[in-house]
Amino acid sequence: MSGVVDVRARVGKLTLAQRLYLPQVLAGMRVTIRHFLRNLFAIRRLPTILYPEQRRDYSDRFRGKHILKTREDGTLKCVACYMCAQVCPAECITIVAGEHPRIAYEKYPVVFDIDMLRCVFCGFCVDACPKDAIWMSRDYEMAFFNRQEAIFGIDKLIEKPGIPVKDGYGYRPYYPGDGTVPPADASTTPVTPGDGEREILREKGLLPAFRPSAPQIATKP
Amino acid sequence: MSAVATPSLSAPAERIRERLSTSPLSERVQVRDLDLPTLEVSPADWPALARWLRDDPECRYDLFLDLAGVDNLRRPGQKARFEAVVHLHSLPRNEHVRVKVLLPDGAPPSLPTVREVWPASDWFEREAYDLFGFDFPGHPNLRRILCHDAFVGHALRKDYAPGQRWFAAEEDLKMPPWALETGAHAGHFETQTLSIGPSHPATHGIIHLIARLDGERITRAETQIGYLHRCFEKMSETHTWNGVIPYADRLNYVSAMNNGVGYVRTVEKMLGIEIPDRGVLVRTILSEFSRIMDHCVNIGANLVDIGALTNFWYLYQPRETIYDLLEACCGARLTVSYVRVGGLAIDVPEDFVPRCRSLLESIPKFLDDVDRLVTNNPIVRGRLQGTGVVSREDAVAWGLTGPMLRASGVPYDVRRSRPYDFYDRFDWDIPVSSDGDSFSRYLVRMEEMRQSLSIIRQALEIFPEKGPVNSSDWHVVLPPKDAVYHDMESLIYHFKLVMEGIKVPRGERYEWVEGANGELGFYAISEGTGGPYRLKVRPPCFPMMAAFEKIVVGGTISDAIATLGTLNIIAGELDR
Repeated sequence: MSGVVDVRARVGKLTLAQRLYLPQVLAGMRVTIRHFLRNLFAIRRLPTILYPEQRRDYSDRFRGKHILKTREDGTLKCVACYMCAQVCPAECITIVAGEHPRIAYEKYPVVFDIDMLRCVFCGFCVDACPKDAIWMSRDYEMAFFNRQEAIFGIDKLIEKPGIPVKDGYGYRPYYPGDGTVPPADASTTPVTPGDGEREILREKGLLPAFRPSAPQIATKP
Repeated sequence: MSAVATPSLSAPAERIRERLSTSPLSERVQVRDLDLPTLEVSPADWPALARWLRDDPECRYDLFLDLAGVDNLRRPGQKARFEAVVHLHSLPRNEHVRVKVLLPDGAPPSLPTVREVWPASDWFEREAYDLFGFDFPGHPNLRRILCHDAFVGHALRKDYAPGQRWFAAEEDLKMPPWALETGAHAGHFETQTLSIGPSHPATHGIIHLIARLDGERITRAETQIGYLHRCFEKMSETHTWNGVIPYADRLNYVSAMNNGVGYVRTVEKMLGIEIPDRGVLVRTILSEFSRIMDHCVNIGANLVDIGALTNFWYLYQPRETIYDLLEACCGARLTVSYVRVGGLAIDVPEDFVPRCRSLLESIPKFLDDVDRLVTNNPIVRGRLQGTGVVSREDAVAWGLTGPMLRASGVPYDVRRSRPYDFYDRFDWDIPVSSDGDSFSRYLVRMEEMRQSLSIIRQALEIFPEKGPVNSSDWHVVLPPKDAVYHDMESLIYHFKLVMEGIKVPRGERYEWVEGANGELGFYAISEGTGGPYRLKVRPPCFPMMAAFEKIVVGGTISDAIATLGTLNIIAGELDR
């Protein structure tokens, strides 16, 4: 705690010299010329950059375009649990779930669309994902010619194995060295029962027949 | 003592009740004790109570903060369908109070205007008329304010379905009646009616100023707002408590951090949870940095309006470096979405403290440069000194807060008056000025930036090097990812929080922070579900914009532009 300070009284009225314009103009010139010379001789430290030749070095928490992470065999880690779609404050994620032929994967997204014109890049989807399936990249250049192009599907979002993500990883659920162990990759875990193929189980009568239903689209209550 | 006695009241509520028992109103006003002393009154007694609250020497509630409508349609057990909830502050006594005017579901629900008592209530009443359909008999200009004239229905009523759209054609947008009047000198060039905006470089947002001129002087003015209205309050009702955070960022987008902190503080108080010191201090440090950014933008843009461009670049450099710090913390520069109910999205990076310290060294250099260029410059003084004057009495009556109020000589800053977080531990000064003109507001903001740097320096001294930033209550905060991946119980907490939201206990709360341009209040009502039942923002620039049309009358157009810059109007917060 402390007091109250009267800033107006501290500044006071202008002196005669200050009112004569020219001395104040020169005093101002001193400041601007100093900045000019400093910028001229230390041109590398200029605060402006020559985009797009030069690019800003953003932190590894930058919230850019989303990426859908993949398992070792290239399938999506996403299990279509709708948690990102539910938490999304902009309601920009559309998921249609399907039954995956491999029983270890159970569900997968047939459709996973993010409307980039609605997205506010808050990172809530990354926080909400329990399967380490959605990260964000540092890619912030997403210009489109029409609104249809702005809806990014799996083909645009998936992280293709062997191809580095444009501009690198951004906001993600854990970072190297923070002690988090990512969830086990379902493609490498042994699957019970049997060899896990649904069709074989169905033939044996161990699984009910698959009844395709109308696509479910996540909606808010 | 009347029959209104309730068993145990807190000291301020008890004092109001005792004082009230000496007035003729005592039988008709019920005193309750919620987070603030709360008075319940019927519409007929409201003007008398208002006068009493303002004039009684033991009360003196002179600062009108907010009027929030509430629709109790889906809130069982309430006394009336509608409530008009008024928040007031007493500068002499330094106390907040809440008044609820209970409105039965009439057609339309109506309560008398209190414009005569607190002129600040003018626009707030128009807002309640617009969004709830309350009628205010005696109000001279009861028109829609946030929604356009072609809008059908009242958006914040519970029986109004969100998602409906109403399109306004150009002919639906009405000018105020006086602007269409043809006076004695109709058509005369010098007494014309001028439209400044809605899209004008000097409005720094979308604001429409309609001014009747006599030569260069403004003889009558009116502002029309709402061009950026996106019904933040209705949208919050359809989202979870955490889902509102990105929306709150977009209120005052120049200092987004402060809005988030204000909002989550309200929810945390309702939940009754404590945040670790480290988390609170991160919020404080980044809020103060955001305040510096906000003032930088305000002063820079204001000086551009009066023709001084260089300062803009000097002030935008510290802003750029602060953005870099915010980006390193949370991954976004402008709309940070960094806070969460119960803490922060993620801990600060390892080099947070050294980065803050280097900012503390670099920012004052730019402030000194601007000081040298501007403060004693006769041209700037000529433009700002003595223009846009707001007297102390007017500032209080118009409900101004923040630098506007302090520049008029009232040392009211909620960080000091109603301290929250660690502000009572820091040693800092409230800058005030006695003149109330545009130049005073510039000086107050310059000094506030220096005081903010001092607060950050002190916060860094007590900043714990290690430790949690989040509450460990997993009913509120998402469990750590490691636990979610490998532990069933944590996954269940995670699932419940994401799918259903935080279960905030039933009740209501008004909490405040000192936003960059004044007292930023959040009034939240919870019904025990995962999202807010009602969320009302007390935007600091709303009363400022209401006062603008009174400040500019008598001045020239060029002064109006210079004055508008010093108000610090942020359209995102003004229009919500």
